[in-house]
Amino acid sequence: MDTKGKITRRRAIAAGGATALFGGGVAYLATRSESGESGYVPESFHTGEGTTAFGVELGGRPIAGDRGAPVDIYYWTDYLCPFCKRFETETLPAVGREYVDTGEARVVVLPYPNIGAYSMPAAVWSRCVWRQVAGSDPAAFWRWHEAAFDAQPESGTDWADEETFAGITERTSGVPTDAVDSCRSTSAGSIRDAVETNLRVAQSAGIRGTPSFVLYNRDADAAGKLVGAHSFDTFSDSLDRVVAA
Amino acid sequence: MTGAFGVAVPAWVRRLPDALVHPLTSNARLLGAALATAVTYAVLVLSTFPGFTVQALASDPTDLSYAVAALTRETYLTVGWVGLGLVATYAVLAGVALTNAVALLGRARRAGASTVLGVVPGVLAAGCASCGAGVLGALGFVGAMAALPFQGNLLRLGGIALLVFFLGRTGDPLTCSIGGDR
Repeated sequence: MDTKGKITRRRAIAAGGATALFGGGVAYLATRSESGESGYVPESFHTGEGTTAFGVELGGRPIAGDRGAPVDIYYWTDYLCPFCKRFETETLPAVGREYVDTGEARVVVLPYPNIGAYSMPAAVWSRCVWRQVAGSDPAAFWRWHEAAFDAQPESGTDWADEETFAGITERTSGVPTDAVDSCRSTSAGSIRDAVETNLRVAQSAGIRGTPSFVLYNRDADAAGKLVGAHSFDTFSDSLDRVVAA
Repeated sequence: MTGAFGVAVPAWVRRLPDALVHPLTSNARLLGAALATAVTYAVLVLSTFPGFTVQALASDPTDLSYAVAALTRETYLTVGWVGLGLVATYAVLAGVALTNAVALLGRARRAGASTVLGVVPGVLAAGCASCGAGVLGALGFVGAMAALPFQGNLLRLGGIALLVFFLGRTGDPLTCSIGGDR
C-alpha cells in the first residue's frame, strides 16, 4: 500500500510516542537529583596568607589541602547556586581524594555572590564559621559548607535566610553558634570588602558566574580556567595539564 | 470564514493544524522533525551556559549527553517547570517548522528560482524564531535570563507565538493556497 504523502495511523502513533518520550526524558533529566556522594571531608586544612602571584588574596581564607601543594584551585562559589551543588556532590569528592589529599593541589574556597539577595550574607556566615573553627576543628567548616549546599531545595532562592543558616550552624557539630553570631555583627563589613577584592580578580580573569575555577601552578606561574560543574574527567584533564606545566 | 460562535477565525489559525501534521506525511519527514527537535533542544539548553558547553565539548565531545543532562537540570532549577516546558515546546515546534521549511524550499526549487527567493523570508523567519531564546541565553548564564521579566519566560512565549504564527501562515507546505485571505 502506498502511504507516501498520507498521514497513517502508524506514523501518528509514532509521533505521539516520540513526543511523550521526549517530554518524559526532559522531565526525568530535570528531576534526577545529583547522583554523587556526600560526606567527603578533605584530610587537611589551613588558613591562607598573603597574595598569590595570580593576584588572589589568601589572607584568612579557608584552604583545603597541604600548604605546599604546587597547584591552587581557586573555587568561586555561591551557596545559593544549584550548579555549585552539582560540582560539590559529583566532582569535588573525587578531585579531593585524587589531587587534594595526595598533596598535588589545594582548594581555596572563594565566595562569588551572584544568585540571590542572600548570597552575600551566606558568604559572611561561611567566613565567620571558618574564623571560629580554623584553629580548633577545621573539618567543622567543611561539614557546615556541605550542610549549606544540602539545604538547597528543588528550586528558588527563598530558602536562604537568617533562620535557615542559623539552623545549619546550630546543627553542625563543632561550630560555636554564639561566636559566629558575634563575628557576623562585628565583621560583616570587612568580610564583604574582602569578598569584593577577590571578586575583582575573578572578573578580570573573565569569570562571570558560578561555579568557576582558576587552576594555578604557583611554581610555573601557569593558569587554566574552568567554568561550570564539569565532570571529573574534564576537571582532571585540565588539572593534569596545569600540574605538568 | 467564521467559527462556531460567529467569530472570524484568521486564515493562519485555520491552516495551523495542516502545518502541524505535515511531518506525519512521510517517514523521512517524521524522522527529520524528530532530529530537528532533538538538535534544537540541545542547542537551546547548551546555550544557557556557553562557556561550560564549549569547555565540556572541547575536552571530550562524548560529554555532550552529560552537558545536556546537567544543563536541563540547571534550567529546571532556575526557571522551573514552566520555563523548561516552554523550551521543550519550542523545540518540538521548531522541529515541525524546520521540516516544513525544507518542504517549502523543495517545492519552490521545483517551481523555479524566483519562487525560491519568495520563500526565503518565511524560512528565515522560522529559523530566527527558532534560535531567538537561544541567542539571548548565549549572552550570559541562566542567571541572565532570570533577570528578565518572568525569568525569560515571556521571551520564550514570544518565540513560540512567532513559530506558531509562521506555521499557520505557511499551512501545509505542499499545498498551494488559492485566494488565501492573508
